[in-house]
Amino acid sequence: MKRNIPLAICLGMGILMMVQFFVPHPISVGFYDLTTKWVRIVAAFALVLGVGSFVMYHSEKLRRRRPGWFYSVVALVAAAVSTVVGLAWGVKQTSPLQNYIFTPLLVPLNASMFAILAFYMASAAYRAFRARTKESALLLIAAFIVMLGMVPIGAAIWHKLPDLAEWILSVPNMAAKRAITFGVALGGIATALKVILGIERGWLGGGKQ
Amino acid sequence: MKFFQYLLKIDRRIIYIIMGLLVTLPLVKPLGLGVTSGPRATRLFEAVDSIPAGKTLLISVDFDPASMPELYPMLTALMRHAFAKNLKVLLCGLWPTGMGLAIKAATDIPPEYGKKYGEDVVYLGYKPGVDAVILGMGENIKNVYPYDYAGRSLDSLPMMRDVQRLRDIPMIVALSAGTPGYSDWLAYAQSRYGMKIGTGLTAVSAADAYPFLQSGQLTGLLAGMKGAAEYEVLVQKNNYSKAYMPAVAAMDSQSLAHVVIMILVIIGNIAYFVTRKRRS
Amino acid sequence: MHISHSLPTWVAAILTIGIFSFLWKDNPFYKFCEHLFVGVSIGYGIAVTWYNGVYPDLVTPLFRQGKPLYIIPLVLGLCYFCRFIPKVSWLIRFPMAFVFGWSMGVAIPATFQTSIIKQIQGTLLTPAIFARWDVLLWAIISFVGVICTVFYFFFSREHKGALRLASQTGVVYLMVGFGASFGYTVMARMSLLIGRLQFILRDWLGVIH
Repeated sequence: MKRNIPLAICLGMGILMMVQFFVPHPISVGFYDLTTKWVRIVAAFALVLGVGSFVMYHSEKLRRRRPGWFYSVVALVAAAVSTVVGLAWGVKQTSPLQNYIFTPLLVPLNASMFAILAFYMASAAYRAFRARTKESALLLIAAFIVMLGMVPIGAAIWHKLPDLAEWILSVPNMAAKRAITFGVALGGIATALKVILGIERGWLGGGKQ
Repeated sequence: MKFFQYLLKIDRRIIYIIMGLLVTLPLVKPLGLGVTSGPRATRLFEAVDSIPAGKTLLISVDFDPASMPELYPMLTALMRHAFAKNLKVLLCGLWPTGMGLAIKAATDIPPEYGKKYGEDVVYLGYKPGVDAVILGMGENIKNVYPYDYAGRSLDSLPMMRDVQRLRDIPMIVALSAGTPGYSDWLAYAQSRYGMKIGTGLTAVSAADAYPFLQSGQLTGLLAGMKGAAEYEVLVQKNNYSKAYMPAVAAMDSQSLAHVVIMILVIIGNIAYFVTRKRRS
Repeated sequence: MHISHSLPTWVAAILTIGIFSFLWKDNPFYKFCEHLFVGVSIGYGIAVTWYNGVYPDLVTPLFRQGKPLYIIPLVLGLCYFCRFIPKVSWLIRFPMAFVFGWSMGVAIPATFQTSIIKQIQGTLLTPAIFARWDVLLWAIISFVGVICTVFYFFFSREHKGALRLASQTGVVYLMVGFGASFGYTVMARMSLLIGRLQFILRDWLGVIH
């Protein structure tokens, strides 16, 4: 029962929603409206899993005084303060959440985390990008043409370079990415069918239950 | 030989310093290379330009502060273009951390054109559920968003009287940093409701969008900061705005950064092949 | 040089430097910033999800407008909390089954239409391509590229003879495609760094205007 009923729900919902796509009858549309609303609500609750895991991990680290436990205090206090500020004063444009949490804290931290990737990429390109084979040399040449063609200096070096880069993106790159899109889409549909039909049961979790 | 071996083992921090200096320099002393607009940005510009005055442009803010340098200039340029053409702008989002950026844009840009919140621009807010959100909007926007981001009822906002569902909107532009993003708008808004969709993407995802551009599913594509700069230039050239263009200002630095990366790769390869040859 | 007098700008600049300090080496300041980022993100996400998701979609219709049917998504959503109670953790399967079944059912026809049917339509050679010689040539090159790249991913048979030729051609297209992606990735990462530098030089130090 603990596994069969969820599997039955998954099967039922999957088939109903697939069929609903093709049926414009008012009952079908009404069912679609209702389930769309419910899914949004249930999806919002999924945040609980992330928050719960975060709290459990850092609480455990703090409790056992593992190395770096002080930083867990920082994370937990930051989460608690921003939650309280957000819930108490709302999310409007003039709220403390936007003015004291989002703009001075979240924006620079989030942006900087990804900005340092530029340095890692430069270092990795210098150390690891080797044209050892014909294929990697071809990859490198295509990368160089696109890198130069997509910025103003490319047009300054040779006025046809942007057109060449555009051709590489629109023809061979497009063809390769389309083939990958087919593969990903077919794989995705196959996986979705396996989940609906109960062949893929990994999402149920392990255990005897 | 020793020189090339030293090159291969150089401390990565020296590379960081070289990179940092050469990227900073053009920001302080611009090279003056200029920016021209490509066909993809022009296509999106013309599509937005052809929307009749008074109609609504839906912009989905599907990015976070990490992608702000690439996508936020696109958002501001699109909004300026729309307001200059007397279009209404409806903002929504599928990313929770994009909310602050959308609020900032909805606050900063409209006053430049004498536009008012509620009459000319509305930000619906973030809503969890991706596919459920898009599909719900296709049937009735107020069912999905009964209130805007700040809790105001949509019935009280004059702009929302003429916009009931996605089909009332001539075009959607999805500014996406990944998933969820333009692929979800294509899959649900276009396949089910036949919506016209343009997109602005981070450069990382831009190469993957070309199949959708070629098949006609996407009407125009802005790729990365270059795409943002192209759109800013188009907006300025057509006298829709005289505002500061942050993406255009960054293009000299972008150019030099690419050249630096290329030189680093070439030097690394030369050092590698020379030492390998000497060793064998 | 006009250094900013705004406290939020100074806080943002200091946190940016904190994250960038990791480039020199790992240090306590960086770790503090990293954990602060995690905590603030969680708190912000909770506040936004409550005000934009749970409150208008569940609390208002159920408790303020008196629509009893919303008890069903409420109960399903509350099942997520059972993840942290070992004896009843199996209850989480119900909301997951509902959301997965719904999402998979809706995704299958949508994916088929967007990523397969439309993409096949885009690949086919139509009479319109004969309008110009270059359009015809690029269309044929794209067509060949898509077919050959799809053949490359066909691993059920050994790549011999004609299949080997096709898959090797596919590899050429893939390398060009990945090279183009790498070129664009370089652009993306550099853009993020330039964005942060613009903040430091313009908004904080006032060196550029």
